[in-house]
Amino acid sequence: MEAHFLEGILGNRPSFSPEPWYNPYGDCLVCQTANEAVVADRVDEVLTIYRSGIDNRPIGFQVKGISALIRTFGLDGLSVQSESEAGEITSVSVYALLLAAYERGPRTVRRRQAYTCALESGPFRDRIERRDLQPA
Amino acid sequence: MAANFVCRTRDPKNPEQGTADAIFPGAYTERLYKVAQVQYLNLVAAKFVLENVERIFFGVREYNEGGWCYTARPEQWHIRADVVVPFPPDKVFAVYLNPLMYVYECRAEFAADDDATCPINWRDRYRGLIWKRTS
Repeated sequence: MEAHFLEGILGNRPSFSPEPWYNPYGDCLVCQTANEAVVADRVDEVLTIYRSGIDNRPIGFQVKGISALIRTFGLDGLSVQSESEAGEITSVSVYALLLAAYERGPRTVRRRQAYTCALESGPFRDRIERRDLQPA
Repeated sequence: MAANFVCRTRDPKNPEQGTADAIFPGAYTERLYKVAQVQYLNLVAAKFVLENVERIFFGVREYNEGGWCYTARPEQWHIRADVVVPFPPDKVFAVYLNPLMYVYECRAEFAADDDATCPINWRDRYRGLIWKRTS
């Protein structure tokens, strides 16, 4: 098989971990729980469910507009399961971010089902470091 | 941090004649390399899309002004790390770029019924289609 075009930069041993991460170039939170191809199933302006390219089951999600969510709700508003150190919030709950994203839109059955789908697409690490939530 | 990778593509501001540099940010590709193996491998499909784009859409995000979506259909893709199959006929591969032409998302999407090189519901999702390949 032809070498990956980034092999000279990154190497040839990519790996997988079901941990949520913040993409600063897209200002989005990404979580993928299975090492398979992803097909995006856009739910609304904020949430996209990642479906398996093999059997269509949900294997993760993307939450867009994280900066806007933090501006709207504040870190305190996302602090239900956040950790703080000397009064400063150091990590944010991924579940709280998903629930905040849900609150931004209409309360429809489709959205409720999709957000439940995202919450149940785990297991995944349920916290993300505050310092990682910095847009590029 | 890994170095950026620059890929020549159509200029979204002058798609008929101009070219522009799309940038795969090192921080992004390195993250995929570490935690999203199959998505990392499918960056090959993303590079193919940028080099053989069929459609370019603008206005892709509600909370972030600007940005572009480039789409095309690669011949094949990884569904697992060790399994490469033909790209499915009911999907299209989309590469999203921010206004500075940094790639931030590469993924398959369900294709529209009326145009297999457009993502489903593209008329509602984007502000517009700015270019389509005609030959």
